[in-house]
Amino acid sequence: MKTRTSIVIATIFIVSVILGACNPKSAASTDTPTIEPTISIDPFDPANQPGDIYAAGSSTVGPLSEAVAESFIADGFPGQIKNDIIGTGAGFKRFCGTGETDISNASRPIKESEIEACKQLTPGRDPIAFTVAIDGIAVVVSKENTFLTDVSREQLAHIFGDQNIIKWSDLDPTWPAEDIQRFTPGTDSGTFDYFVEEVIQKGLNVETSDEAKALALGVANIQFSEDDNVLVQGVEGSPYAIGYFGVAYYLNAEDKLTALSIDGTLPTQENAETGTYALARPLFIYSDAGILQSKPQVAAFIKYYLENVNKVVIKVGYFPAPQNELEASMQVLMDAIQ
Amino acid sequence: MSHISQFQAVQSGVDIRRKPRRTESLIHLVLLLCGLVSVVSTFSLVIVLGREAILFFKLPGVTLSGFLTGTTWLPSIGKYGVLPLITATLITTFFAILVALPLGLFAAIYLSEYASAKTRGVLKPMLEILAGIPSVVYGFFALTFMTPLLRIILGNDTVQVYNMLSAGLVMGIMILPLVCSMSEDALYAVPRSLRDAAYGLGATKAETIFHVVLPAALSGIIASVILAISRAIGETMIVAIAAGSGSSFTFNPLKAAETMTGYIARISGGDVAYDTPEYNAIFAIGSLLFIISLILNVISRRVVSHFREVYE
Amino acid sequence: MAENNSAIATQTGLKRRQSVSYNWSKVFLGAILIAILSLAVMLLNVVNDSFGYAAIEYENDPSIYTMEPLANLDKSQLTALLAGNLSTYRWRTIQQNVVIGQLEVEDLRQMVVDELFKPTVVASYSLTSSVLKRGEVLQEIKSEYPEASVEFYRWLDLDFLTRSMSTAPENSGVRTAILGSLWIILVASLFAIPVGTGAAIYLEEYAHPGKFRKFIQGNIDNLAGVPSIIYGILGLAIFTRVLKPFTSGAVFGLEQSNGRTILSAGLTIGLLLLPVVIIITQEALRTVPNSLRQASYSVGATRWQTIWYHVLPSALPGILTGTILAISRGIGETAPLILVGASSFINKDPTGIFSNFTSLPLQIYYWTQRPQDQFRNTAAAAILVLLIMLLSLNAVAIILRNHFSRQVRA
Repeated sequence: MKTRTSIVIATIFIVSVILGACNPKSAASTDTPTIEPTISIDPFDPANQPGDIYAAGSSTVGPLSEAVAESFIADGFPGQIKNDIIGTGAGFKRFCGTGETDISNASRPIKESEIEACKQLTPGRDPIAFTVAIDGIAVVVSKENTFLTDVSREQLAHIFGDQNIIKWSDLDPTWPAEDIQRFTPGTDSGTFDYFVEEVIQKGLNVETSDEAKALALGVANIQFSEDDNVLVQGVEGSPYAIGYFGVAYYLNAEDKLTALSIDGTLPTQENAETGTYALARPLFIYSDAGILQSKPQVAAFIKYYLENVNKVVIKVGYFPAPQNELEASMQVLMDAIQ
Repeated sequence: MSHISQFQAVQSGVDIRRKPRRTESLIHLVLLLCGLVSVVSTFSLVIVLGREAILFFKLPGVTLSGFLTGTTWLPSIGKYGVLPLITATLITTFFAILVALPLGLFAAIYLSEYASAKTRGVLKPMLEILAGIPSVVYGFFALTFMTPLLRIILGNDTVQVYNMLSAGLVMGIMILPLVCSMSEDALYAVPRSLRDAAYGLGATKAETIFHVVLPAALSGIIASVILAISRAIGETMIVAIAAGSGSSFTFNPLKAAETMTGYIARISGGDVAYDTPEYNAIFAIGSLLFIISLILNVISRRVVSHFREVYE
Repeated sequence: MAENNSAIATQTGLKRRQSVSYNWSKVFLGAILIAILSLAVMLLNVVNDSFGYAAIEYENDPSIYTMEPLANLDKSQLTALLAGNLSTYRWRTIQQNVVIGQLEVEDLRQMVVDELFKPTVVASYSLTSSVLKRGEVLQEIKSEYPEASVEFYRWLDLDFLTRSMSTAPENSGVRTAILGSLWIILVASLFAIPVGTGAAIYLEEYAHPGKFRKFIQGNIDNLAGVPSIIYGILGLAIFTRVLKPFTSGAVFGLEQSNGRTILSAGLTIGLLLLPVVIIITQEALRTVPNSLRQASYSVGATRWQTIWYHVLPSALPGILTGTILAISRGIGETAPLILVGASSFINKDPTGIFSNFTSLPLQIYYWTQRPQDQFRNTAAAAILVLLIMLLSLNAVAIILRNHFSRQVRA
């Protein structure tokens, strides 16, 4: 009995010593570095920032913020960066409703009601928008879909907003007589809000966005998710499925999806920048002057974001915002910090 | 006990009755409080669920009958019919039981009637491993293996990427060990004399099992099935990953649909701010789930106690 | 006599009944084999996705940086390459972690590849296709990704365990998730085990049989059957919201602004495990023969002394097994944590009970949601880690149970 217990204890001891010795940090600290890292006096140096950063919101902007955050950390930020993907609407609820987040990722501009809510916080917040990239919303079908390569805006409005259209053939008799399987973002998603306004409200000539929203939610065979990844998987699965989400999610699954051209234009960088693609929209991050001043790490992060976003934006899958917009955002940032 | 201490007290002249009692009472109190934590837990559950559920039913346009019979569930535009979520839950549960009941029961019969002690020693741990695997792993299995398999067998067009059948079948595999172990306990409890009497009359093994042992163990088996149903209804991760999002009212198991638990998981993946229709809806559905599982668990225990009494 | 027997046999249809019985025994065996088969298929499926060929391309064209193949460059040239092409801050962070001067040439070359060329996995293949259809896989990679190099990729390796999460699947790891899980289960156990054991002792040893005891017992049995997501709702409402000042650490002066902390998560899981711990401990206490208690009383021990010195040690094997099984269950819980507010992207390891968190099953959930094949691989690797953790826990349970039951008998 005693020998066995001591063997167990010895094994645990040895294992923990080995695990402890494997820690790369401890290996480095035993040596004195021969190159002294320069301690810069740049107030926006990532390594000089105290505290943590909490961002939340859009699933479209989310991956972009995460890529920038990773880069920020690799450049020396010692604190914690937390990014929650919960949808633009939910992100604003956390930014303006409970005041928990420092940055709100948004794929649509902030609404009046949300600005009001922000003012009600103590201390009140006055949201400032920073444009960080351009997104094209890609309307996608599965690669197995053989009958659809191009849609008109009007057709789109009917596909996603008309409750009488259940099968593809209801809209165009040359299409198959199969149920349309729709995959769309949910109501917390900025992509949803934008699409409802741009496509459904305008395409079906509906008075208010609330009516358009009701129409969009009421169509047959629809699945929603705030998580665009779920939508991608859904559309991939059937030749009769159709969905829409940020173009980055399409580019990541290009081998299984086809992006439709809308009235002849595809969601490419050129078309997005020149504005010829119908569903190109700016992507934002929001913060507030009070936060920027009381939490310098947030200001440093946003500055880093604006300076470095174009290095990652193509890889993530979006399109770079025009240089003058980025510079304008930078100016807004500098003004807010004063 | 008291007269022993009195005896000692007489012997040594020291009264030892008082001292232990104070610490004893203290310990008694502490343990009682521990026991009451569970009661507090239940109360908090009832209060939290009930309060928000009442707030939910106070919303304009929401009535209890509308809630339970309406066929559209879209809280953001004011449609509060929970039936689609219930049918989805029932369909996935149905397939789960379809898998778990026969397989679990037959496995239990094999373990208790046929297997040698050595075989049992090998097979039972394997079933325990099956029972111990977290549900998120089953969800991964449903999405990456079961759904593609179903699509190969039944065709890519008939089976959607997210569907209820795949989730239901995998859920059945997950609950199987539960049915098996509870049924096995029930079978084990049947006295040997019953079996011997049947053999003595010339019955074959299968006849003994079906006509003598199973009826005797019936209460335990039914209890295990009811508990399995309760477990299947409350399961979240498998359906959240593989069954679908966005409620749809359909009876076709090859299509996607959202269950009650799947809805709660999806909405809380977003944010659940106070006083939005979705927030209150979560509590209404949560209350419904709580009541259903409560009723099922009570029935299960009643079945065991009632039938067992009659038999003995 | 023989004629009589066969006559009886034909009358009762013995042969047919026996063959029916034989067939049924095969069915019963088949059922259990199907169960074991499903287990094997599940595990193989996970292993299948965790290892296999991967086509790797460089994100940045190496010729931007140097025309020479890396093998021809010496240490100083490699260092110059890094210093000249990385941003000052990036170079500084690297130097803080590692002493450049003391690196081997091989390590420097690897660093140039990782930091400048940035290898990405563009296609990954399962183990079965890599082994069985090797030729086809290599052919496909050559035709679809002519620039890619092929490597047998182990998605589960030591790096996977020590890295933190990332947006790129090949750079992702589960370190933060494992630590989160461990912290949460620690808090949950510190709550559930003492309280649960105490409640079980109360019910078995102290409470008089009657309405009150039935009431508490009924409560516990009901709670054990409540779906885990309901506990999540409870945790959200009480720990994350109502008790926010307490769980976020504001009461203790920390500036954490929300209640989505390890403390909330741990208490929620603790509440979930409480009925399980109570029921298992009760059963363990019941196995202790009454004669032991009576013997203890007869020598003048008080009730608590009897419990502490005799009943508990005797029931210890059962209690230990039970608590470890409860812990295994707790580690695998996902749904309540979604509600209590886990983070989908977080870079810092949890440092205390007031940290934000993520957990291993949650990571698996988030990665499973992503359609990219490579995240399927990381999800599978994470599942393997989780299963190994659980298996070791159960093995410890069995060892401890055998050790202590032997002790008790001795």
